[in-house]
Amino acid sequence: MNKFEILDHTADVGLVAWGETKEEVFANAALGMFSLICNVEEVNGGFATQVEVEGSDYEDLLVTWLNELLYLFEAEEVLLKEFNIQELGQYYLKAQVEGEPLDTQKHHVQRVVKACTYYEVKVEEIRPQLWRAQVYFDI
Amino acid sequence: MAEAWKGPLQKVDDWRWLIPRSYKKGMLTDGMIYASEKMISAIRKDQAPEQVANVACLPGIVGRSLAMPDIHWGYGFPIGGVAATQEKGGVISPGGVGFDINCGVRVIKTNLTEEEVRPHLEKLLSLLFTNIPSGVGSKGKLSFSIPELEKVLEKGARYIISRGFGFKEDEENIEERGAMEGADPETVSSKARERGKGQLGSLGSGNHFLELEVVERVFRPDLAEVFGLFPGQVIIMVHTGSRGLGHQVCTDYLEEMQKAMNRYDIKVPDRQLACAPCDSPEGRRYFSAMACSANFAWANRQLITHWVREIFEQVFQKSAASLGMFTLYDVAHNIAKWEEHEVEGQKMKLCVHRKGATRAFSAGSPALPPRYREVGQPVLIPGDMGTGSYILVGTELAMQETFGSTCHGAGRVMSRSEADRRSRGRNIANELKERGVLVQAESKATLREEIPEAYKDVGEVVEVVERAGISKKVVYARPLGVIKG
Repeated sequence: MNKFEILDHTADVGLVAWGETKEEVFANAALGMFSLICNVEEVNGGFATQVEVEGSDYEDLLVTWLNELLYLFEAEEVLLKEFNIQELGQYYLKAQVEGEPLDTQKHHVQRVVKACTYYEVKVEEIRPQLWRAQVYFDI
Repeated sequence: MAEAWKGPLQKVDDWRWLIPRSYKKGMLTDGMIYASEKMISAIRKDQAPEQVANVACLPGIVGRSLAMPDIHWGYGFPIGGVAATQEKGGVISPGGVGFDINCGVRVIKTNLTEEEVRPHLEKLLSLLFTNIPSGVGSKGKLSFSIPELEKVLEKGARYIISRGFGFKEDEENIEERGAMEGADPETVSSKARERGKGQLGSLGSGNHFLELEVVERVFRPDLAEVFGLFPGQVIIMVHTGSRGLGHQVCTDYLEEMQKAMNRYDIKVPDRQLACAPCDSPEGRRYFSAMACSANFAWANRQLITHWVREIFEQVFQKSAASLGMFTLYDVAHNIAKWEEHEVEGQKMKLCVHRKGATRAFSAGSPALPPRYREVGQPVLIPGDMGTGSYILVGTELAMQETFGSTCHGAGRVMSRSEADRRSRGRNIANELKERGVLVQAESKATLREEIPEAYKDVGEVVEVVERAGISKKVVYARPLGVIKG
């Protein structure tokens, strides 16, 4: 099972993430998003923080979660690669996220992800132990 | 690849295609796409027309759900979409503006010719590249305190000019004179400020650019003269927006409107079209925050203008004023505005959403500065990197049909991954150089995703708006050099 794959879209970029659990699919979606931004192989440790978001359902939570991470990337200037989802209910997500402060000498930032959109957003358990999430980003 | 769209498109004339209201439950009006027959087959290749139909479902929409010929598949609204909603019973939708609030274009004129600039081109580009921050997460050269940032949000380019970064007359050549009314900084979250504060005075990445161009063709000499344009003249085009601040404002309010929709019992076919009544607290707050972001973007283009002038002064050893470096005009192409339009003989105050569409007011509009009031608004249409740009003028027919709106650029036809595949192994900068265009880019990946063939031909786009009568061509300018993020 791939952790995620990129969807073609004329102007922007879509992402499908997979996971055995809903926690895993949320973590893989985040990893997929950072792999659009940079080469995650180049990202080590040195930064960790807690993230908490609320939403009206899983889809809303997914969009809000990814947008919160984009905020951290731009405001705190960190690249993230580890996403440990500690709590995930229908309306609430809590996670420990880790990564490295952005160092333009070392990291190759490939593109701007302006935001995660609600367009065609989906989070579904397509069969037992297989979760699928889909989002589109504004690039 | 995306699924093709199979819905009905009725040909009205050679340049107009109608999606009838009967196509889909929930549509409150018809959709109308401005395009040539040739473009229609490309437009049908993805879900952009469905998005035109979805916008037609917005409560309180007035007139048709419109799409300009540079229409392409977006999220929520199509890119190239225009929709007007009424003050009472109408909604405002952050998705109808987009994340890059007041992404737009400024053109700075010079009195220099190509022959005079050519020998200095490399030096100019390298100075522009090092002095105007570009690229992902690029930072401005100046830092602004929190009270200064508040002033930027409230007063936009006017504040920046008052600080000495510009000519007094720049102000009147910017839409809204560089500052939208109703911008209360209180409505902008601390997150948005955090994300934006260091980015004032930076180009950013993606399709944003700064380009030196030469006026190559003049279609309407009388209008070109009023605009101060002549063949062989070098002009500078700046294409950027509100950077991270605007992205966060849109993100914040989309989240808020997801909740507001339940409260007001609004149903829309796509969550990205989340909206709230224009006259609700949520609608008003969004409008204010969007206006603050628009002001930030005008301030951003003003600061960049100032640095461009400084660099030309350094290279040519003359003052910017004696080099004729005046602002032709500055337009927003991602914005919502309160405007008065005549609908079926009645004057109405409307919230006009333009998502990848440019305001194109006709002669006589009181919103225009006196120097353009007799001819109409200069409309600035950037092409893709290396293809060149058009300057158009607004028409009376646009006032009647499109709420005074027209296209905004070329419009993508190829996904980024396909562009990446097709450009693998190619040296894009060299290819452009062979065509006489020098490029300085922060990211090779951006350069490859932005290859010319990933876009529609801007010439075809402009041809459609001219033939349909919603704008007129004034000049075409060929690129000499480009700075990309």
